[in-house]
Amino acid sequence: MTAIVDIKDLRVEYRKGALGQGPKVAVDGLNLRVHQGEVFGFLGPNGAGKTTTMNVLLGFVNATSGTACLFGVNVNEPIARQRIGYLPELTYYYKFLTAEELLRFYARVFGIPRAETDKRIDELLKLVELQDARKRPIKSYSKGMQQRVGLAQALINDPDLLILDEPTSGLDPIGRMKVREIIQRLKNKGKTVFFSSHELGEVETVCDRVAILHQGKLVVEGRVDELVAKYQTNLEQVFLKVVGYQPAQV
Amino acid sequence: MAVCFTLGTCLQLRVEKWNTRAQSDSLLAILLGDGQRMFANHFFTKADVYFHSGYYPSWMDQGMATPDPGHMTEEHHDEHEEAEHEKAMDFLGAPKDWIDRFGRNFFPSTHAHLDKPGESREILPWLRLSADMDPQRIQTYTVGAFWLRRELGKVDEAEQFLREGLKANPDSCEILLELGRLYDENRHNPVHAGNLMQLALRRWDEQEQAQKKPDEGIRLQVLIFLSHVEEEQGNFRQALHYRELELSLSPPQPEIVKQQIEELRAKLGEEKRAEQTPGSKSQTLEK
Amino acid sequence: MNTVLALSQVVIKELYRRKDFYVLFVLTALITLVMGSANFFNDDKIVRYLKELCLLLIWISALFIAVGASARQIPAERENRTIFPLLAKPVTRGQVVAGKFLGCWLACGIALLMFYGFLGAVSISREHEWLVLNYFQALWLQWIFLAIVIALVLWGSIVFTAPSSNATICVVLVIGIWGLGRYLNHVALQEREPLRSVIYTIYFLIPHLEWFDVRDKVMIHGRGLVPWVDCFLATLYGAAYTLLFLFATWLGFRRKALNT
Repeated sequence: MTAIVDIKDLRVEYRKGALGQGPKVAVDGLNLRVHQGEVFGFLGPNGAGKTTTMNVLLGFVNATSGTACLFGVNVNEPIARQRIGYLPELTYYYKFLTAEELLRFYARVFGIPRAETDKRIDELLKLVELQDARKRPIKSYSKGMQQRVGLAQALINDPDLLILDEPTSGLDPIGRMKVREIIQRLKNKGKTVFFSSHELGEVETVCDRVAILHQGKLVVEGRVDELVAKYQTNLEQVFLKVVGYQPAQV
Repeated sequence: MAVCFTLGTCLQLRVEKWNTRAQSDSLLAILLGDGQRMFANHFFTKADVYFHSGYYPSWMDQGMATPDPGHMTEEHHDEHEEAEHEKAMDFLGAPKDWIDRFGRNFFPSTHAHLDKPGESREILPWLRLSADMDPQRIQTYTVGAFWLRRELGKVDEAEQFLREGLKANPDSCEILLELGRLYDENRHNPVHAGNLMQLALRRWDEQEQAQKKPDEGIRLQVLIFLSHVEEEQGNFRQALHYRELELSLSPPQPEIVKQQIEELRAKLGEEKRAEQTPGSKSQTLEK
Repeated sequence: MNTVLALSQVVIKELYRRKDFYVLFVLTALITLVMGSANFFNDDKIVRYLKELCLLLIWISALFIAVGASARQIPAERENRTIFPLLAKPVTRGQVVAGKFLGCWLACGIALLMFYGFLGAVSISREHEWLVLNYFQALWLQWIFLAIVIALVLWGSIVFTAPSSNATICVVLVIGIWGLGRYLNHVALQEREPLRSVIYTIYFLIPHLEWFDVRDKVMIHGRGLVPWVDCFLATLYGAAYTLLFLFATWLGFRRKALNT
């Protein structure tokens, strides 16, 4: 099976600000492979190294050692990001642009022909239910609408790999449902989805495989159904167990 | 509120005593205070910059050359004066390096004066602004009036500008001198011009004689002009008197003055002879 | 190149959707018209003072538009975190720098066209002639000047953290070079070694921005055009400094960590 995401011995260190303090290891010897058509959940408590790993995959942060490839191309090459879509946790877009202008800008970055761009913009705005607001500047949108614009921009290049960072955070139940539907639809089309989330119920529902990271290290990786069967409990309990959570004595 | 109102009314009377600036009619005076003079200087220099079509030493060059803005109104330049002026305006010197040489293509770097007809009008706004900023700056009025009447034929405007200057500086013999010239050269009224010159001479005597170093240049100009006006009117005796006073001030070319005195004496002699011959005066007048 | 153009288009849109440009344009127009309405000795043909004033306002406005726009480009991308979805696309940091530069430069060009159009209209109303080549040369050289300034400010935005401090430092630096750069050789000659060599080195290293200010020669005092060869050489000189500053910007930006 082709590995869409291939991480080998990845180590990321951050230099500490204070004098005399050594570097902080954010990711330590991570090995991970995500295959085509999979929906992959990337889990871990806060500070586990999930976002750092995503930042390496997106080229925001350089690895201290090890390699990370997307579609067999090193992530340091911009072309590696040609076939991916990325939805950040919070919405960060040019607020003076309208949704249509924003999508047109990103389509141009991907080199999508104009006719195709028009078609995709119509489709995506319909998908995220923003047709009526397409000519309004993003600054006038509600938080949910901004998140939906984010989703549309992540899909503008019809990506083969979608990287989602906490895609449902800040969304209302209908918005969450919508995201789940989109993930499912992409899966049905044979696309790969790599996403991090704290909503373990949601992960259990949509993911084929998961990896749990703790203190920069990979502690568990496997199919969701296999893990649930192995630990004889739901994914949330599996997660709490592997990260060593001890409930407080009342 | 009551305390504020009481303090306000009490302090208002006191403030009026020491804050004269706030009571000025002019907005510029309120905003700039004495800084207006600095602007007036700048605008006057700007007029000179325009007179030189932009070729002028900047404040960085000023240490090297400070041209006298008075040359804006000098009518006749002899070769020596011309050479002096050229020397003063050669503030750039030879290029020191390639940057200096190449850079001279991008700003006016050759000495020139306004010469196209009507071009001199361009210096006027700066003089107007300078006069508005500092009404006590006499040179602004004389230079402005000179260009208005001599180059642009705007005699009424020149007179109005000079009278404005005179209102702000009632004792200025320079303005009176320029006004006298205007009446003689443009209005062809030597009598009025002569009266103005005599007033200028009186003002000079009142102000400058008491000074340690009186500005004799102005007195000299007034005397030259007075003698010219008197001669024009046929008052040779009076003209001779002014020429003799002129000579006593050691003019730059005393030989010419002496020659003029001789000529006046000759005319005076002729006049006397004519008076002695009956009927000749009426004939002369008819001529 | 498509990516760079797309990025520049966003910058241009940002600039014309902000109010800075309109405020400066209206202010310039207003001051010029008020001064134009002044009556100087009943002579309505006087035009040079008006040109000088309008050009001064154009230069100040253009400088502030250029510095203000370029100082906030990269810091705003980081602060608003728009850089993350952008760099998650096949966009290099070099393209971001080039796109930001091009956007600011083109936006300034559009602004200059409007300002010079206004100046032309004011001038025609008095002079009844429009020296197209003079206007073109003055506008072109000012645009090259702005290219150097924008590249310098972009570099400053990598070096300094706050856009305001970057903008202030750059404005002081640009005005300093513009006003004093020409005289540094005179100053050097008056000093002793080793200060003389230091000042001379600065003199040869700084971009001589005063070359691009041809207001006096070409626009106000009618001293004719700058020879086209010199204009071309000055353009090359400006382009070299622009590329140098952009390269420095790219070097600095390439190493900047972007942490989400």
